[in-house]
Amino acid sequence: MKLRIMGVATVALLAVFMGTSGLAHHSVAAKFDESKSATLNGIVTLVDWRNPHAHVYVNVRGQKGDWVNWAIELASPIDLEESGWERESLVPGDAVTVVGYPARNGSRQVWSNTLTMSRTGRQVYNVKPMAPPVPLAKRPTPTWPNGQPRLGSLPGGVQGYWAFPSSTVLVEKDAKVDIRPDGLLRNIADAPKVAPMQPWALSVYRNRQARFLQDDPGFLNCKPPGGPRQFQQPYGVQFVEDQERQRVFVLVGSGNRNYWIIYLDGRSHVGQVGGDDDNPLYYGRAVAKWAGNTLEVDHRGFNEDFWFTNGGVPHTDQLRLVERFTRTDFDTLQYDVTVTDPGAFTRPWSTGWTLRWVGGAELPAHFCQDNRP
Amino acid sequence: MRALIFVVALSFVALSGAPAMAQEGHPVKGSWIGTWANNKLLGNDVLVIMSWDGKAITGMINPGTDDIPFKTATLDPDKWTIRIEADAKTKAGVVTYVIEGKLENLAMHNRSIVGTWKSSQGSGAFTIQRQ
Repeated sequence: MKLRIMGVATVALLAVFMGTSGLAHHSVAAKFDESKSATLNGIVTLVDWRNPHAHVYVNVRGQKGDWVNWAIELASPIDLEESGWERESLVPGDAVTVVGYPARNGSRQVWSNTLTMSRTGRQVYNVKPMAPPVPLAKRPTPTWPNGQPRLGSLPGGVQGYWAFPSSTVLVEKDAKVDIRPDGLLRNIADAPKVAPMQPWALSVYRNRQARFLQDDPGFLNCKPPGGPRQFQQPYGVQFVEDQERQRVFVLVGSGNRNYWIIYLDGRSHVGQVGGDDDNPLYYGRAVAKWAGNTLEVDHRGFNEDFWFTNGGVPHTDQLRLVERFTRTDFDTLQYDVTVTDPGAFTRPWSTGWTLRWVGGAELPAHFCQDNRP
Repeated sequence: MRALIFVVALSFVALSGAPAMAQEGHPVKGSWIGTWANNKLLGNDVLVIMSWDGKAITGMINPGTDDIPFKTATLDPDKWTIRIEADAKTKAGVVTYVIEGKLENLAMHNRSIVGTWKSSQGSGAFTIQRQ
């Protein structure tokens, strides 16, 4: 076995610039130690091509000359396929060199930064974040016959969804916070600036940060990314507008194909659906109205079983969101949210970001069903 | 009789609670089960229900006909220590219980509070785990 572990801060910085943390469904740092580097030389035994993360299993020669099997964690198959890779890009028997981060818990797992075929020297399964091309000129916002902006697909069934958020972290607007795309603060002293948290919430937030977000239930248990977090996820959201029934279905690309409904028919939050009056939900209960070209959503009834930010800012079941969706042009959706939660915050606070239209495509099929290995 | 009530209450919690749920909100909120050792008046086993309204921790010990509502409960989030005071109406009259403990395994849904209890009737170790 050839395993070198060394403290190299530059490697961690490189990963941030490469955007690996932003692509993963969890913070890489939650499971792997980015301050160390591991190099493995071995023989591929299996390629496990499944969400949320693909894995390559590699037999590495141990110190006693025996074979030891290691799990190499990669990005999701969605990202790998977007970058042109397929399951068969590596096959059992291929000799490879892996350079990455070792697991924090000392288990035989490595997050792969580079995976190189020994025979050809070719790198495989490397991922580059890819945004849709920027149109040369702004296109006008598409509208319904009644003049309302279309949040979803176009007439004639042309599909599309919203992704590539301009921010992947939930921080109060205009706050000067040094934070990574995966929600980890670079300076823990910035914690009080993230949001106006009550003392208990700030202390919980610090604890989650100190543990590298490893307790994120979205990571541990594949819990849904409710609230604003779903609009900061890698695989986007899709709006399906049903004007006849006065509702908008929101399909969550990073949430196991979950959906929730925004009602525009005047019903209240409580008793929205018969038989399920007021149970708190991961995606809450939403009612909305149009204010000019903006859909204003009053969103309540969230449970406390998930993190509504990737950085671990706590919330309670008193959470209320006022979300504003404005399609400012064909390719841009402005999302603004005001967060009110007297159980966790000292005052309401706001933030916002934009999403990009990904036209001619359906939501990626991303399922987080377990967290192998 | 008290033991019977405890068993009924325990069964209710066990049957109604389904699997232990993640609780990512206020860390003390929820149902807790454990022991207060050497409590000759109320028995060793104890159930505690706690909630958080945004300003105060509320709750009760041994919910049921002989429940003991919290008088006060304060949490120090810097040290994760908690102090609970509750008055129990017993055959011996009103007995004030003071529980002081520390939250352990904060990040886990089945976190614990470990400390001590004391009253005019005695004192001992206090340990409860969130269900």
